Amino acid sequence: MSTDDATTTDDATLTDDGTLTDDATFTDDGREARPSGRKTRGEGPARLDVTDLVVSFGGLRAVDKVTVSIEPGTIVGLIGPNGSGKTTLLDAVSGLVAPEEGSLALDGEDLADYIPEERAALGVVRSFQDCRLYPELTVQDTLMLCEDARNSVSVLSTTLQLPWARRAERDKAKAVDRVIGSFGLERFRHHLTGHLSTGTRRVVDLASIVLAGPRLLLLDEPTAGIAQREAEAFIPLLRQLQEVTGSTILLVEHDVPLVFELCSTVIIMQTGSVVISGSPDVVREDPRALAAYLGASDAALNVTGPARSDAGGAGGAGADPGESRAGDT
Amino acid sequence: MIAVSIPSSVVIEGAILGLNYGLLATGLVLIYRTNRVINFAQGQLGVVAAVFLVKLYYDYGINYWAALAAALLLAAAVGALSELLLRRLFNRPRVMVMVATIGLSQVLFLFTLFPFIRPKKLFRNFPVPVNWSFHIGTFLFSPGEVVTLIVAPIVALGLAAFIRFSPWGLAMRASAENADSARLSGVWVRRTSTVAWTLAGALSAFTAILASPSSQTSTLTEVLSPGLLLLALLAALLGGMVSLPVAFMAGIGVGIVQDLLLWNITNPSTGSAQVELILFVLLQLALLVRAASLQKSSRTAERTSWMTGTVGFRHTGDVLRKRVGTTGVLGVVVVAALLPLVLDVDRSFLMSQICIYGVIALSLTVLTGWAGQVSLGQFGLVAVGADMAAHLGGGIPLILLLPFAGVATGIVSVLVGLTALRIRGLYLAVSTLGFALFMQTSVLATSCWTLPVVHKTICSGLPDPQSTLISRPTLFGLGLTSERAFAWFSLAVLILSILMVRVWRDRGIARRLISVRDNEVAAGSAGIPVVRTKLMAFALSGFMAGYAGVCLAFATERFSTDTFDPTVSILVVSMVVIGGIDSVPGAVLGALYLEGLPAIFGSSTTVEFLTSGFGLLAFILYLPGGMAEVMHRLGDLATAGVVQLRARRSGGSSPGPEPPPTVGIDPATGKLTEAGAVAELRS
Repeated sequence: MSTDDATTTDDATLTDDGTLTDDATFTDDGREARPSGRKTRGEGPARLDVTDLVVSFGGLRAVDKVTVSIEPGTIVGLIGPNGSGKTTLLDAVSGLVAPEEGSLALDGEDLADYIPEERAALGVVRSFQDCRLYPELTVQDTLMLCEDARNSVSVLSTTLQLPWARRAERDKAKAVDRVIGSFGLERFRHHLTGHLSTGTRRVVDLASIVLAGPRLLLLDEPTAGIAQREAEAFIPLLRQLQEVTGSTILLVEHDVPLVFELCSTVIIMQTGSVVISGSPDVVREDPRALAAYLGASDAALNVTGPARSDAGGAGGAGADPGESRAGDT
Repeated sequence: MIAVSIPSSVVIEGAILGLNYGLLATGLVLIYRTNRVINFAQGQLGVVAAVFLVKLYYDYGINYWAALAAALLLAAAVGALSELLLRRLFNRPRVMVMVATIGLSQVLFLFTLFPFIRPKKLFRNFPVPVNWSFHIGTFLFSPGEVVTLIVAPIVALGLAAFIRFSPWGLAMRASAENADSARLSGVWVRRTSTVAWTLAGALSAFTAILASPSSQTSTLTEVLSPGLLLLALLAALLGGMVSLPVAFMAGIGVGIVQDLLLWNITNPSTGSAQVELILFVLLQLALLVRAASLQKSSRTAERTSWMTGTVGFRHTGDVLRKRVGTTGVLGVVVVAALLPLVLDVDRSFLMSQICIYGVIALSLTVLTGWAGQVSLGQFGLVAVGADMAAHLGGGIPLILLLPFAGVATGIVSVLVGLTALRIRGLYLAVSTLGFALFMQTSVLATSCWTLPVVHKTICSGLPDPQSTLISRPTLFGLGLTSERAFAWFSLAVLILSILMVRVWRDRGIARRLISVRDNEVAAGSAGIPVVRTKLMAFALSGFMAGYAGVCLAFATERFSTDTFDPTVSILVVSMVVIGGIDSVPGAVLGALYLEGLPAIFGSSTTVEFLTSGFGLLAFILYLPGGMAEVMHRLGDLATAGVVQLRARRSGGSSPGPEPPPTVGIDPATGKLTEAGAVAELRS
């Protein structure tokens, strides 16, 4: 990531401190339960139960009998070495891959029959690791798209520009305007997302998450491709995100200290199975966790996290300590 | 009725035909393996050489074998040169490269017209080196067919051995799979690609030279006809677009099946239509089964296939810029509305044509430009609309017929689009091309057919496939019989279509289509219904193509199945690409360019191919944004001019003698409008 990228990210991320919470109300207006959905959308943070989940690719069991319960309103961190099945687990929850066995339940309701679009309507919102978004849509259109998903207007009434279609479009534009304002994206409004830096794209992604109003938020490595300094800024940002959207967050992340700092529960996966889960303090001391992932190095635990000023000289290390040290064990 | 018999003479005849398909298929696979593109110029590459062979043999009296060697060399050179030309598109979306090969094939066709390649006398027997022939029953196999039976397998085997045992074969596969990695591992990707094209050129020459003796020289261009190409593609697909031997054998199989079908379906009037139907079904099955599984494995090809690389110049939010643009557009509309008053009958008719083609091109902008669904079969949908006009034109008032035909065609389009749920990109292009051919040769060509079980006769095709006559209706009591009236009517249809598409673009439809095209997974997770959105693109596009078909039918008044030749579909794709693939004004400009220029320079295939072939190549190579980009830059220039002018005025300096507003002559480049816009803003 070049310095140029870093500056643009600064502009966008750091201005939203504080302003984000001010706008806490807007996520609720206009958000109605989708009338066509089979299951009506609930309110407040959702609970996720994963039971004996198995996902295979050919002969490889990417996720192997995983059982996890995620309490409403918590931030849960999912860590583990590459290829341990973290992203696949997220894919299964958002419906992109079909599990072979086991079940997924949102607030006790089985999700098996729901395709990704329907899960999104239930409030399962997902961000992607590559954060590619839609390269040839402008930032404004990308955000409008989130509104489209929730408030879909038929082609016919759009074509004829019937009153309600115009009104719906105006309402969407208003909601988008507010998010663009609070995320400091005004100067990127008409830029194609494909032309933005990774950092700015992440901010656009976060903005669309806020618009989508998730009940269960699945974040796949939100700090990938972002400089260390900005990764630190992500901790308050993610907390705010949870407060504003009122969602449960399941976070896949390689930045171990960030996870320990932010999450109330940490789950460690290895080769498709859960090695250990529990509160950060418990997991931190557990020898299995260290052996599985942390490379048996205390320094690795302390790279990110401004609160932990006792980290010493480890600050110069890369943003992905777990990544680089996993092979040392 | 069907009485199955398998005479050996028919099988051998089919096999000879199939050997040609096989060779063509092998060439297609060869290029696909190297460049991940379906080479629409594969047939045409060798035709130049075949024509040259005739020239050398008859006009210069050169020994056959020497002439053959020279022709093969020429073909190899043509192949290599083509690659050098297309090399510039190395990192571009595959679909654009595919369209470029269409342009290439048209340019190659023009080569055959050069005096030093074109033989003096056409309609002569194609030279054949030997005089062997044999009988099976009453069926005589000519020397040309005997040569095919002997030479084609040898060529195919030789090629397979080269690929298998030379290091080039592996290099070709590696560069197709991941060009960047291959380069880093020391494979000369571009040189490999040149070798492949050289081979493909020689192979194509063999195909053309072997296939030609059974026909006359003038019909050589048949080698590039979509029907033949599709059968070769069917064979190539059966080989998974990878295996040369399987593709070759499948080609033979397709030839045999085709001839056996023709032999066994005795009813001569509907026979070929039924064969086409069966081959169409086979093609779709091959696509759905083979291509869908192929796509899963090659993610890279699909990833790159729809990054159109738009320049992103469209949204600036600058008020002045917008005003300049609007003024320019309004100027064009006013000029266009006044044009029929001064144009003669022929030119008025041409204007109607351009307007209707503009609508068809717009329908493709929606489908291909925004939704990323490549369709080479748009004229199949236009044919549906025209067919409905032929059947219902007298009964339903025009104002109702237009939307009715639109909706009906939209439904057909959605059915075509169902394949798009499984296949994408190049394969979808093949599938839709198959649909267009099927519409022409099977549906339209069969006036009436009988449902097999209930014995009910359905008349769905053109009332007279050779020449259907319809008379123009009235609109709100106004007759459209005069060309002038019809030109206004077409212009009105075009303007309404543009307004409609603009609403789609600016009010929420386009962003949904583009999101699904750009990142299907993310769009789905964000709650955009992916399947419904894709089908919506087909429905909208089909709707427009349907009512455009009605207009086209009434404009021409007399049409046949040939009016809806699949090559016209390819012409429409050229319009959209030349215009700027996702641009609304671009589609209209493209139609103006491709329909208008041939009329100015005299309408003939030559001029048509000249404009579309060279136009396609030039725009794809040098101006990927198309004419829309050119127009946009002119608009920027005009805006800058206005800004400068205003600054000078407010600066207090005397306005000075204004330069006379320059009125550009050529409407195709858009110069007229922008100059007009500046002039208007100045006053």
